[in-house]
Amino acid sequence: MTSVFHRMAAAADAPVFALAGAGMRWAVQDLLLADGITLVDSPRAASILLVAGELGPRLGEAAARVHDALPHPRATVLWASAPDGLAGAGAERIGPDADPVAATRAVFRDLVLGGRPSEPALLPDVDPATWRGVGPYGQGGSGMTGGTPYGRPMAELGPDRDGLRLDVLPTRLGPFFAPLPAGLELDLRVSGDVVVEARVTGSEVGTSEAAGGSAFVRALTQPQSIADLEMARARAHLRWAAEALRLQGLRAISLRALELARTIAPGDSAAVGRFATAVQRTGVYRWSLPNVDDRRRSLLADARLGPVSRACGGVDDERLADPAYIALGFAPITDVGDGVAAVWRARFGEASQSVDLASRAGSAVTTVTGTTESPRGRIALGDAPTARALEFVPALVEGLEWGDALATIAALDLDLDEMAALAGVTAA
Amino acid sequence: MTDLGPLAVAFSVMVAALLAVLASWLRTARNARATAPERVPFTGGRPPSAHAWSRYHARYYPMALLFLAFDMEMVFMYPWAVVFVSEGIVAMVEMGMFIAILLLGVLYAWRERAFDWT
Repeated sequence: MTSVFHRMAAAADAPVFALAGAGMRWAVQDLLLADGITLVDSPRAASILLVAGELGPRLGEAAARVHDALPHPRATVLWASAPDGLAGAGAERIGPDADPVAATRAVFRDLVLGGRPSEPALLPDVDPATWRGVGPYGQGGSGMTGGTPYGRPMAELGPDRDGLRLDVLPTRLGPFFAPLPAGLELDLRVSGDVVVEARVTGSEVGTSEAAGGSAFVRALTQPQSIADLEMARARAHLRWAAEALRLQGLRAISLRALELARTIAPGDSAAVGRFATAVQRTGVYRWSLPNVDDRRRSLLADARLGPVSRACGGVDDERLADPAYIALGFAPITDVGDGVAAVWRARFGEASQSVDLASRAGSAVTTVTGTTESPRGRIALGDAPTARALEFVPALVEGLEWGDALATIAALDLDLDEMAALAGVTAA
Repeated sequence: MTDLGPLAVAFSVMVAALLAVLASWLRTARNARATAPERVPFTGGRPPSAHAWSRYHARYYPMALLFLAFDMEMVFMYPWAVVFVSEGIVAMVEMGMFIAILLLGVLYAWRERAFDWT
């Protein structure tokens, strides 16, 4: 009977927690559409750890920690990847051109049917410190638990928004916290679910060579086809929508965004319009997306963060400096309402506009190099919108409730690959 | 004996199921004792810097208390509904007074902003 259960378990979708390394963010996102595997948001719910691309030396230990967070039985699949921290895992290695879905399914099947042993823990079994109170037998002390549990201090007291003095809990998130882009690390202090203080402590994934360059980065040094650039922009916005909708728990429409990003053709702005209407009908604008107060709006308006700045009252767009775009009758989309919902509307409006521009651009190419407008805002050699946006993150999220803070960060469309690629362009 | 037959069968099935669950749990528990890094909560791949035990303001608390008050009121209304027809207008007035007193409590909670969620 046991073997019947094992065979049924092996036939189910493999639960996979994916670590997206440099340049692999979209390849991992495409796995959401794959049959036979399910991408989960926590390693606790996964059986397979899929590491895609290079993680760089800074994230090796964190990757090992993620590996150890998977429950038994567990296995690792390294897809075009050889991270430092996972060297001893006995993992399945596949090349960049191999099919990750088939490989993952095969490993999962072996794992469930007992043909492959569960991987042992990678990190040593030692606590950061023993739990020791002040008494002769390790008991007692001040605070709720007495002493310092395993070397981790208790939360400090601080005033909260209701005039009480309650705990302010220091929390480290990332680099592989599913709602944030892989590689982004935040140190937060939270009082209940209100972010009291935020700090960005890490924002690197892989190396600039591995991050590759998008069409927008190439447009900094040589003229690019406007049709290609605008289709890339529309796809980037739709892929962002897939991530943001997934964060809001709207799985079905998130997959629709991803499907649209893969199939959209020049001139099909009606399809983008239908999709934007469907998003509006979910009610997410009214129910889930936070407001942006005047202080935050004025911070973002002149930051040249593309749709984010234009949704906050800014008017800058590098495409206005390019005669080739002016000849196409281009005018940036502004005046899209208030709050984070305005950023969403701005991105959908821009995606639709880009698809339309791409169909009318013909063989036109960009005529300005040195700066260009990526889907995230103004880029230049060594100057990435993500790097500028990261400086605003503390000011944007402090004082917000947790869900609103995540929705605000997601609206910025942080792209650490683009940031790494632009840093590489300066060095070259 | 024949009366207890089905009960005995149900009891032995329960005991057998319990033993099976216990045996499988013992087998996995023996094989995999979690290491220290496996035991800590997952927050993205870095070790936690503070203990996760944290006291915060449960803002739904006044609302929960109000709900309890009106829940108890319903308990009093069931027997009242049974005798309402025979007692007539007296029962109506008495229940009106009872609910009026409770409504004063709601107005007080309203003034204290217990209904403001954020």
